[in-house]
Amino acid sequence: MRGEAMEMPKVSAFQRLLDGDVAALARAISLLETGGPVGDALADRLRDHVGSAGVVAFTGPPGAGKSTLINAYVSELRQRGESVAVLAVDPSSPLSGGAVLGDRTRMGEHSADARVFIRSVASRGHLGGLALSIPAIVDAVDAAGWSNIVLETVGAGQSETEIAEIADVNIVLNAPGLGDDVQAIKAGILEIADILVVNKCDLPLADRTIRQLKAMLQLRRAEGRNVPILPTSAERGEGIGALADAIAAKMDGARTWMADAGTSRRLPGLLRLRAEAAFHQQLHALPESDMESIVAKMTMEGLSVESATNMLTARAVAAGLHRPLLSAVANSERDHWHCGF
Amino acid sequence: MTQVQFKTPNDPQEQLMLPGFDEAQADWRRDYDGQIGKDRRITNRSGIEIAPIYTPQDWNADRHMADLGFPGQAPYTRGIYPTMHRGRTWSQRQLIGLGTPADYNKRVRNILELGASAISLLPCNSGFRGIDCDESPLALLGTCGTVVNTVDHMDQALDQVPLDEISTAMNDPSPFTLFAFLLGVAKRRGIPWTKITGTSNQSDYISHYVANHMFYRLSQPGSRRVLVDHVAFCRANVPNWNPVSVVGQHMQQAGATPAETMGFALSTAIQYAEDCMARGMDPDTILPRFTFFFDISISFFEEVAKFRAGRRIWARIAKERLGAKDPRSWRFKFHGQTSGVDLTAQQPLNNIARVAVQATAGIFSGLQSMHTDAYDEAISCPTEEAARIAVATQNILREEAHLCDVIDPLGGSYYVETLTNQMEEDILKVMDQIDAAGGMYEAVGSGLVQTMIGQSALAAQEKIEDGTEKIVGVNCYREDDGTVEQPLPYRPDAGAMKAHVKAFRKFKRERSQQEVDTAISELRRASDNEEINVFEKVVDAASVGVTHGEIISTLREELGFGHPLMVA
Amino acid sequence: MQAEQLRVLVTKIGFDGHDRGSRVVAAYLRDAGMEVIYTPPWQEVAAVVALAMQEDVDVIGISSLATDHLIIPELMDALREAGLGHVTVIVGGIVPETEIRTLSEAGVARVFGPGASREDIVEQVTALGSESRKSKLSSDEFAI
Repeated sequence: MRGEAMEMPKVSAFQRLLDGDVAALARAISLLETGGPVGDALADRLRDHVGSAGVVAFTGPPGAGKSTLINAYVSELRQRGESVAVLAVDPSSPLSGGAVLGDRTRMGEHSADARVFIRSVASRGHLGGLALSIPAIVDAVDAAGWSNIVLETVGAGQSETEIAEIADVNIVLNAPGLGDDVQAIKAGILEIADILVVNKCDLPLADRTIRQLKAMLQLRRAEGRNVPILPTSAERGEGIGALADAIAAKMDGARTWMADAGTSRRLPGLLRLRAEAAFHQQLHALPESDMESIVAKMTMEGLSVESATNMLTARAVAAGLHRPLLSAVANSERDHWHCGF
Repeated sequence: MTQVQFKTPNDPQEQLMLPGFDEAQADWRRDYDGQIGKDRRITNRSGIEIAPIYTPQDWNADRHMADLGFPGQAPYTRGIYPTMHRGRTWSQRQLIGLGTPADYNKRVRNILELGASAISLLPCNSGFRGIDCDESPLALLGTCGTVVNTVDHMDQALDQVPLDEISTAMNDPSPFTLFAFLLGVAKRRGIPWTKITGTSNQSDYISHYVANHMFYRLSQPGSRRVLVDHVAFCRANVPNWNPVSVVGQHMQQAGATPAETMGFALSTAIQYAEDCMARGMDPDTILPRFTFFFDISISFFEEVAKFRAGRRIWARIAKERLGAKDPRSWRFKFHGQTSGVDLTAQQPLNNIARVAVQATAGIFSGLQSMHTDAYDEAISCPTEEAARIAVATQNILREEAHLCDVIDPLGGSYYVETLTNQMEEDILKVMDQIDAAGGMYEAVGSGLVQTMIGQSALAAQEKIEDGTEKIVGVNCYREDDGTVEQPLPYRPDAGAMKAHVKAFRKFKRERSQQEVDTAISELRRASDNEEINVFEKVVDAASVGVTHGEIISTLREELGFGHPLMVA
Repeated sequence: MQAEQLRVLVTKIGFDGHDRGSRVVAAYLRDAGMEVIYTPPWQEVAAVVALAMQEDVDVIGISSLATDHLIIPELMDALREAGLGHVTVIVGGIVPETEIRTLSEAGVARVFGPGASREDIVEQVTALGSESRKSKLSSDEFAI
């Protein structure tokens, strides 16, 4: 209890985080999520303590079974004697800003395991597959000594580069019967995949999905990347060992660049995420008169679409130069929020 | 009679003086709108808008044969038997579960003396979760359901209950250990299994996945396998037992509207029938033993329409879609339980009135078996006095109120017939959605059903919040809580429960471990081999002293541990 | 500048599986702008403690419709032992009057009965959550 804690020799919360104290890490994550000067200061301080954690991202359409597969992967790692931290990103409601975070329910069996850390992260209006604060949160988890970090992205609407820049190994999931089969995998996402997984491989049509993916990969064979296609059934625990082996192999391959890039390797991702959010925010904060004046130039003076776009872009950027970054980027029409309520 | 006559008097002079239908309707409309206005809309729980009055324009007797016919005949709207409650009233089947097996035995014999005609056993919630009493917190044991983990416990619970004379329902989800214990007791007492009648009340694993998240039992595919084996076993060995009870109640309690509930239940029944037929069973050998289990809510006419429409749809589906030729397969036999969701913890004695209204709706719907809730069920496991009043409520309705004099007494009401047709339409829409999703098994796996129910639950709660749906003592007619005394909750005797757990541990130490090991390995062998009936091995294991928890954990290892489906 | 969002764990312990109430309450809190960590029923006491810690929640809401509230005192002890004594615990559902006192004595902040309104629930959770937030590690403690 707090009173007793006062009498003990004072160890700073930051030091406790570095020492692996789960409560301190959890609290730090909340501060990073909140952002602002406090969150930024903490993020900067954490950068000096980033270790060599390997980050694996699981991406795929809703219904592919991401949470269940991650649960099985976590079990596999635990059997191999390793600890693991999972960051599960779920969308926030665009209307209220609130969220119901239920992904970890599929990982329930690990709840009381001290060597598994699971944290649900709400996207808080960010429209990629992640949350704005994810790079800094990954740094915090890394600094706290977790060497395996799993990222579960939002089921839809992800921006593939965003994830690629933060994770060291990218798993793209698919499952048979999700509408148009492999079409459900967003174009562009194949490029970032280090491993393709066909989950629910016990379902009929799984073979067809695998064939289709192979055909799609063939087109890209020229790129010389070796992307394995692995069938799994998270529900039955099939193919999980092979998946863990493949991830380990890819992680070894990534070690070189991880070592080269070192503590700065998640910075491009972090900066791009924040810059995009800042621009989005500023664009929407422009006074209506700015837009009206540009539209007037188009109709009255024959300004081209291209020039008008440049003008708008410039105004948004200029407006933001003196404006502190606001991390909330809400007010979107897009709603990936489909739950049982 | 082919033509509806709006004017009946024979005297031509009198006829002239009566206004015509259109004119009278216009007059009424003007008066009604003048006094109430046009904007007052009322919708029932299923979302159907209810008109202020119904006339032959909505439904008329021309449709009598198409919509109603006669009881015991297609389309079965009026009831599944020619005599209905005039011949034999419903079974009075009170769901009881409390304390130790000895506590249950005392209560059940008491209820039988009071006039119950069938019994039902609710296991302790620890059993629902798949574990034995020696693994459970003592504080929870027997507070909600009876602790029955072995064949010996079942023997104690049913001491002096004549199993060959009385119908027994087991509230017993897959893998049906309670039923297996019951068969073990029958064997001990020399009662042939052909004389055992009753129902596996909770065999509907799909409803558990949806409403109760029964994933701590078996995986969805594992439950599917066990259910089909259970049906096959009963068909061969316990022919008068109903192995399938489709539990619409779970859907409605979780928040599905009455129309959705019926749609989900019928789609579930189709799924189970088709699963059995895929294993080569003739529909006419299984469907006569299919039963349904529903909540009866206090939305009186809506419930009556729900059941009448459901009965009509099932008869058609059994015949046309499932290909059953025997009329016994077409009969929609259902047990109704007055809905606990409508009961309030505030002013609990009010619940006696609610239960009487719900039960009346059930009787007018032509149910085959009924449980009436005790008034304190919103607060705790029923106390003895509350349980007595619940039984008395059924006795009063049956003996005093003349409710059973006429078959389908609401039949022919413009309102009830119109509503029955509208409910039928809505139920069929829900069933189409389920079919489009690949059937109930798939629709639950993908979360569709949970999503629909979640939305309906929230909408229903909002109606209560904004006062559209009124609940006496909750959002209107509230009294100072201090003035209304709450009954003391039932809690089992801690000492007796401790002794029960101790005896269970002793039993486990002293039984023949060799027999237990053999039975468990047989259970494993059957799980791995679809040619062997896995439920038969459950029955064998139960009779040699393998416990509920041991049977479930073995099957979980073999057939998969259930995981939560769509939750948020 | 930016207010920290309230985080609430909505869960069920013990044996009962009926989750209609907990789902509705989770939706209420979400619609009020809170982040709700939602679990299926049947959580172990140890799991609830771990969840509350990892998710850094301000409030734990336990739904009890049968008799599962009888083990809440055990949960309260476990929370205190884990250093989470500052987290507000509220209970919703059916708790007999005679047992509400036992829960209060064990440290439960509030018991919501079946008639509790959306407004009341949201208001109380906001107030109680903001209060327990004050006892958490502050950003200053991370700056040293």
